[in-house]
Amino acid sequence: MCLALFSGSVDKLIAAGVILSGAAADDMDVDIYVLLQAARAFRKDIGDDPEKLSMAENVDLKEEFLASLKKLNVKTWVEFFKEAKEITNVKIHICGLAGKVWDAEKLEDFIDLADDIVGISEYITASQEADVNLFI
Amino acid sequence: MTQEELQGLTVNKSVDARGTACPGPLLEAKKAIGTIGSGDIMEILSADEGTKRDIPKWANKKGHEYLGTAEESGFFKIYLKKG
Repeated sequence: MCLALFSGSVDKLIAAGVILSGAAADDMDVDIYVLLQAARAFRKDIGDDPEKLSMAENVDLKEEFLASLKKLNVKTWVEFFKEAKEITNVKIHICGLAGKVWDAEKLEDFIDLADDIVGISEYITASQEADVNLFI
Repeated sequence: MTQEELQGLTVNKSVDARGTACPGPLLEAKKAIGTIGSGDIMEILSADEGTKRDIPKWANKKGHEYLGTAEESGFFKIYLKKG
């Protein structure tokens, strides 16, 4: 599976995490390409801090959304991604341009889940080879 | 299998996933099935409605046998035989 992860919003990141969990249960190989907005969320000083993340939809219901997730014992988006990496082969590639946009140019500027910093041609190649392609 | 037959199974591994919503039970099942041997029986306890369909479909896809689901009060038990 190849996932182009553009969104850096907490609701879409959690949706991506749930899909990743399904892929992990299925032993799929997954390549994630972290594009523009998502690269900000992957910054070490942001990660799954809900105060620093916005919502893609129903922005005024963020507190209610987060409280409901907590009540349902749902993992944070970082926990979802981490668990999927533990179960199956998930590689997380940060788009070099996206990192620069958010003042993060080196791998150590991002949370530990990031594997490398790449250019767009790697994404194109991976998406051509994948049987499932998603853009979130 | 009938409800009685399911309840009478000798279970090698029990996974209590009642504290989590989808995809929690699926991942708990995925992790636990790696710890048992081929032919062993595993039960997954869940109260998440979507899991009733999710785990049997996943199990069949992964080569395990879905034996059935036993209803309890406020939750259910899904029985699988590892392939």
